[in-house]
Amino acid sequence: MPRARFAEILRLLAENEVEFVVVGMTAGILHGAPVTTVDLDLVHRRSPDNVRRLLRVLGEIDATYRHDPRGLRPAESHLAGPGHQLLTTRLGDLDCLGAIDQDRRYEDLLPLTVEMALSEGRSVHVLSLPALIEAKERAGRPKDLAALPVLRATLDELKRRS
Amino acid sequence: MTAEPPSDPPRAPDIDENGVDREQIRAMIRLAPEQRLRLVEEFVESALEIRERNAPRPVR
Repeated sequence: MPRARFAEILRLLAENEVEFVVVGMTAGILHGAPVTTVDLDLVHRRSPDNVRRLLRVLGEIDATYRHDPRGLRPAESHLAGPGHQLLTTRLGDLDCLGAIDQDRRYEDLLPLTVEMALSEGRSVHVLSLPALIEAKERAGRPKDLAALPVLRATLDELKRRS
Repeated sequence: MTAEPPSDPPRAPDIDENGVDREQIRAMIRLAPEQRLRLVEEFVESALEIRERNAPRPVR
C-alpha cells in the first residue's frame, strides 16, 4: 500500500487549479473529527478542461486503478462520467468520484462546502460537516452509520466554540 | 520502606453517551486543518509500517 500523503495531493490539485470538493472521512478530519482513513475521496468537476487538469495531476502522481492488476491508468472518458474511479498513487489511495449521494455532482455540492486554507496560500473546498453528516445518514450503510457519533459530536463541539 | 503519599485521582475522561472522547475532538479542533490531516497521515503511516513488518511471508 502506498504512503498516505493526502495534504500533498490536495496541494498539487490546488496548484494545478483542479476544481473539486473533498468529501468522505477526509472532509471529517479536516473539520476536526478524530478519525482516520486510508484514502482521499473527492468529487471533481466533470467539465472537459477540469478533467484534463485532473488527469495531468494524476499522471504526475502515477495514478492507476487499484483493483486492476494491469496497472491501467485513468482516462478522460473515465473521469467525465458519474462513476467512481478508485485509484492508487505514489502519494496514497485516491478516489475520484463523478457524483455521490444520489447523483450529486460537483456543481450541486459546491454550495454545501467551506473553503479551507492550506499552506502556501492555497485553499480547497471541503464538504461542510452538516452536509457530510446528512450524506452519511442518507447512505445508511453500516460503515456510514458507524462514523456518525464522532461526526455529530465534532459538530456539537464546533458549535459550542463559535 | 516508606509509603508513597496518595496522589490525586485522575480527572474523569469526557466521554459522551455514544462513547466518543470529547477531549480528543477538542484537541483536533485546536489544530489548523492541514495539521489535522498531517496527524492522521502520521498515524496511517505508522500503522502501515507495522502491518508491512508483520505481513505473512510467501511460502517457498
